[in-house]
Amino acid sequence: MSLETTFPTTPPTPPRLPPLRRLAARCMRNPLGGVIAALVLIFGVSCLLSPHFLTGFNMMIMARALAFIGLVTIGQSILMILGELDLSVGAIGGLAGITGGMLMVQAGLNPWLSLVLCLLLGTACGMLNGVLITQLRLHSLVLTIGMAGVYGGAILVATKGVAITGVPVDISFLGRGLVYGVPVPFIVLLACLGVVAFVMVRTPVGRYVYAIGSNPDAARMLGLRVDAIRIAAFATAGFLSALAGILMVARLGTAQPSIGDTWVLAPIAAAVIGGVATTGGLGSPVGAVLGAVIIGMIENIIVLFGISPYWQSVVSGGIVVLAISFDSLARRYLHREA
Amino acid sequence: MKTAFLLATALALAPMATWAADDHAPLRFVLIPKTVHPWFDKVNTGAQAAADLLGKTTGRKVEIEYRAPETADVSSQNDIIERAIATHPDGLILDLLDEKGNHATMLEAVDEKVPMTVFDSLPPEGMDVTAVGADFCEQGTIAAQRLAGLIGEKGEVAIMIGVPTAPNHARRAECERATFARYPQIRVVATGIDNDSIETAQKQASAIMQAHPDLAGWVACDAAGPVGIGQAIRESGRTGKVKEVGLDNLNDMIQLIRDGVADSSASSRPEMQGYWAVIAAWQRALGQKTPKYIDTGIDVLTKKNI
Repeated sequence: MSLETTFPTTPPTPPRLPPLRRLAARCMRNPLGGVIAALVLIFGVSCLLSPHFLTGFNMMIMARALAFIGLVTIGQSILMILGELDLSVGAIGGLAGITGGMLMVQAGLNPWLSLVLCLLLGTACGMLNGVLITQLRLHSLVLTIGMAGVYGGAILVATKGVAITGVPVDISFLGRGLVYGVPVPFIVLLACLGVVAFVMVRTPVGRYVYAIGSNPDAARMLGLRVDAIRIAAFATAGFLSALAGILMVARLGTAQPSIGDTWVLAPIAAAVIGGVATTGGLGSPVGAVLGAVIIGMIENIIVLFGISPYWQSVVSGGIVVLAISFDSLARRYLHREA
Repeated sequence: MKTAFLLATALALAPMATWAADDHAPLRFVLIPKTVHPWFDKVNTGAQAAADLLGKTTGRKVEIEYRAPETADVSSQNDIIERAIATHPDGLILDLLDEKGNHATMLEAVDEKVPMTVFDSLPPEGMDVTAVGADFCEQGTIAAQRLAGLIGEKGEVAIMIGVPTAPNHARRAECERATFARYPQIRVVATGIDNDSIETAQKQASAIMQAHPDLAGWVACDAAGPVGIGQAIRESGRTGKVKEVGLDNLNDMIQLIRDGVADSSASSRPEMQGYWAVIAAWQRALGQKTPKYIDTGIDVLTKKNI
């Protein structure tokens, strides 16, 4: 009598998870799963609790408000993936907007030419930041705090604090216009996001950015032109900030010295919510913009829900912490289940 | 699947809840000031008082929702105005940061048929909106004239500018300068910028008084500035030697007058501005015509009348 042992030819099938948990597990395997889940949750709750949330007008104003902060967020997220930060992006946006106003109104220059010159100015400001950081071996945080003062001070010197009015209506379409109900600034945001996402995912430059952010020394030893890529990233952030600034001028119809004042911390928070690591090497501009969507949605529902202005910071800060925690806890839970 | 269907149905039906509104529903006005500030809290107090009175006398409840931007930034204020428009209130009561910068957003309110009333500021040209407030130039002029009298129409004076980008602060400063220019023996030797912060005003005023030991008096252009100036005068031990005429009626300002640090304050009446803004907004919501401008006047607060 012989004893025969049979072995299965295929590995054992893991126990089948319930459908909802299976969906959650699939979401969490996606790097953007957490932020998308938080987004869906906040969106769903907002729809249920406020009759004003899911209206065409509200969606339109949310999309438009997102466009400005979203453009700055894209630039900041590239820098954060690279392991850098630029705290002068708001001031660059403001300076570009004010310069645009001065060129169009005071110098009487063609509005479209003025727009191009403003974008060049923003790019140059970003590039200057990058050159100073790489050539003087300065920490980007410290340098850009100083440069924010320089660019912000230049705005006050140029304007004496007074807004420039009479911006030609030729460019108002860029800030206020709608294409099939979609705000033009939002379309600009999507276009920029598409280009940046393509570069980051599909081109060697994008891979270099992640490599430098993960380990700059190793990237340098591999022969990557680390400084050139860092300067290019700062220039891109400057360009996008200037674009946001000039779109804001087009939206307001005046060049306000306060443009960009609120564009410093929100893009960093948005990027972190969207999964961009503050240490560099991780995350994506798409995730960062989704983080900006969450912040924009929170700001929107705070007003729709009638929350007291004195509680606004507490509520928005709390929801941001919850959104980040939700992502982290969900990943830990699913990891433990696996 | 069932859950997803129910969720989708709930989402689709949510906006329809607004249809349930009727003529007896409370009237809802959204009050949006320039930023979070104690002066606007007083405006809100006046607005709530008007709402209570209207509710009691008409039997129809009036609600005031107070929505203040965290920073005095036109784009932030526009965002809040737009979000308020999305809730379709019976009226918006706005303190415009810059009528030109707010214009496009106000046009959206017109498109959405949300009536507007402005206070402490003027509406964009050509817009049929009632403005409630006091004359900024008159307020600055009253303060400067009073200081000129206190210092015997001669000597060195300083002006504390609030937020350089705020049109009302700039207007007061302009009129204060123009008033001092009428007195040949008065010289404006310094201007500080406090950005509507008491702490900054105190630092600026201390430094200016160090640099100009013969300084005879101060005027300011915002509500926080004179409080900081008063603190600096007290700390430097120059109470009574350096005269101060403040602006507005924050509690700290009133205390400085009580303590004899500041002589007086040219105060707009924030509670009254809030009160009359609600009355005008209520009239608008009922389809009545309202005046182009309601002047709430200026008080000169002294030790005798506070």
